Amino acid sequence: MKEYDSKNRVDDEDELTVKQLLDGLERLDQWHSVSTPNLQWFQQNVEAEKKRMRTKQKKDLLAFITVAVFVLSVVMTVVYQQPVVFLYIQLVGVLLLPLAFKNLERRSAVNGLKQTK
Amino acid sequence: MDENDLIRKAKKGDTLALSKLLQMNYSFLLKYLMKVTLHPQIAEDLTQETMIKCIEKIQLYNGESKFSSWLITIATNLFIDQQRRKKREKTWFEQEQALRKMKWNVANRNEEWTDVLDVLAKLNEEIRMPIVLKHYYGYSYEEIGNMMGIAEGTVKSRVSNGLKRMRKELAELEGV
Repeated sequence: MKEYDSKNRVDDEDELTVKQLLDGLERLDQWHSVSTPNLQWFQQNVEAEKKRMRTKQKKDLLAFITVAVFVLSVVMTVVYQQPVVFLYIQLVGVLLLPLAFKNLERRSAVNGLKQTK
Repeated sequence: MDENDLIRKAKKGDTLALSKLLQMNYSFLLKYLMKVTLHPQIAEDLTQETMIKCIEKIQLYNGESKFSSWLITIATNLFIDQQRRKKREKTWFEQEQALRKMKWNVANRNEEWTDVLDVLAKLNEEIRMPIVLKHYYGYSYEEIGNMMGIAEGTVKSRVSNGLKRMRKELAELEGV
């Protein structure tokens, strides 16, 4: 019973704190009245942002194509000029593959353990 | 035209619909940020940033929550990121300055400042936000957890401990 009373008292006190909080936040709203800009202002901002996004996308695509062309031309040069070097690179890649898989498995096991915790 | 139509059109790339959507939610968003930041300038800056993020991510809005709740989620995470980037002392100093300015403005209007806002400002924003979201906006613990990317239990304990601390500090202030 005593425990029940003390819990009720805490709940009442919480309620009072919440009431004070709501009152304070309501007053804050009154002190800082918001004036919403007109629709034109929003349209200008949306258009400007969309334009910025389009420009960024174009730049990213250009950078991606440049890097891809560079990598491809290096590979082609190696294949035609030094086929042995190319075969060595392929061999190293194949040998490193199990190592990469093992590393990946270990990481996923650690993540799984973290999630179950 | 209702909000769902505007959302549908905005997702298809309609600039006017997206602008109307943002205009409809502007005041709600700014008022929310004002309550959690207790700093008018930061609240305005974050409102702008939230709108930019919304323009970028509108395609990802899936309608599971209300549009205003989605905006609150974006704004909340932007605020958390911003506070993490800033140095603790700098944040405290800025908050103090903003509160002093607000108090001065309120006094100029011949109105009385309320201690509860001082107490709320003293709380860490990671505690202040769930308290405001729970008790002012009426979101559930689960919804707040999803918004802030934390567990429901963590939200519960932050709200409960935060209220306890507020109650204690208010009692101390009233006792003075």
